Amino acid sequence: MWRGHELFLEVLPTLITFIPVTLFYFLVPTVISWALGAWICRVRIGKKNLLYYVVSLFVSFFRGTPGLLQLYLVFFGLPKIAELFGYNINTWSAGIFYIIATCFNFSSFVSEAFRGAYLAMNKGQMEAGYAIGFSKLQNFIYVIAPCTLKVALPNLKNLEIDLLKGTATAYVIGLVDVMGRADKFIALHRGYGQLWILMAAGLLYFIINVAVEFSFRGFEGALSKAERG
Amino acid sequence: MNLNWKFMISDIPTVLSGLWVTLGLTAVSYLGAILIGILFGLILLKKVPVLYQIVLVVNTVLKGLPLILQLLFCYYAIPQICKTLAATFAFEYDPRNQNYFLFAAIALSANFGAYMTDLVVSSYKAIDKGQTEAALAAGMSKLQGILYVVGPQALVIALPGLSNYFMWLLKATCLASVVNVFEMTSIARASTAVNYAILEGYLVAAGVYWIVCVVVERLLIGTNELIQNRTGKEKSYA
Repeated sequence: MWRGHELFLEVLPTLITFIPVTLFYFLVPTVISWALGAWICRVRIGKKNLLYYVVSLFVSFFRGTPGLLQLYLVFFGLPKIAELFGYNINTWSAGIFYIIATCFNFSSFVSEAFRGAYLAMNKGQMEAGYAIGFSKLQNFIYVIAPCTLKVALPNLKNLEIDLLKGTATAYVIGLVDVMGRADKFIALHRGYGQLWILMAAGLLYFIINVAVEFSFRGFEGALSKAERG
Repeated sequence: MNLNWKFMISDIPTVLSGLWVTLGLTAVSYLGAILIGILFGLILLKKVPVLYQIVLVVNTVLKGLPLILQLLFCYYAIPQICKTLAATFAFEYDPRNQNYFLFAAIALSANFGAYMTDLVVSSYKAIDKGQTEAALAAGMSKLQGILYVVGPQALVIALPGLSNYFMWLLKATCLASVVNVFEMTSIARASTAVNYAILEGYLVAAGVYWIVCVVVERLLIGTNELIQNRTGKEKSYA
């Protein structure tokens, strides 16, 4: 391929400037989903009331349909729902729709990871917490959360990496992150050099992935160190 | 919300016709992934000199890149490879009639093959060394030992992982709609071209996906429990 590597070097600096965008769309859903996932987990291990069944249905739907389809559903469906209440959100940027769709999807998976870890936790730990006079909140902060997190962490790491790779999908609704910019480059250089542009984007995704992987390993190490005391 | 319910009901058969493409793509990619997993897994386990390093690098790259990027890469790369091959070996190649289904299947099998490799390696290593030694002591050859003693046990250990990946793959085939494969999502979108009821089309597709996923998951969990009970292993939650 003639001057392919030149194209690679030409698009790389521009794509690098879009790394913060990708990280933003990775970190914001992460933070929201962990909170939402914890709440869903709490509902799903509690009493089987109406809320339990509604939340279970929510989790089942968002785990049982492809993420891309959910993205489309939120992108096309949310404005229609907002219309009912008299709001016009058609002018919202694609990023907001992406964050909403991803939070729904990701919190379902996170809640399942939390739930599995909670069920695997030795209940004696909780009783021990109450026995030494912890309040409910203290018990959650000092006993339940660390124990659950430790078991859920390997699972969460895989989910986070999947989430990061999933941000590449957002370009289909017009979000401009690393992949979105690469797609625009491909459209610009129509007919040649797509592979080099994709390789440049892939390189950046790979580097971010490695960074996420290593920060999780560091976190895991710190957690097990704290446990050993 | 004023959904076009009439259209949604009339759209169900159209979308269902795409279900077979989705399931076909899933089946083909799954088989490809298992083949790649076994091949790469054997290379990693046997520590074949040069191939070992190559497989490690390829695996890491495949797991580190977004699936959509790999699909697009195959979408652009394979026609070019075909063109070069056609020029070298002088066979018929028609650029106007691409087999996008095959391109997507290749990308999906490569991606999931990397995960399968880990599964093959970890479940093989989970079997006690004594089993291999016992097979050898009973007069079996190495291949027989793998086929009749270690293989079946490793398969039982790998089952929850295998069913998990099947579910992931079933949902991942949706991404193939981006690279011109006419599976359920793209058919749902195309069917809405008559009245722009895009949301309705996608809702029907989501409903079909949901039902299929729940049914397949139930079936897989049932099969897992049956097999785990038969082999007397602990109950596992796939």
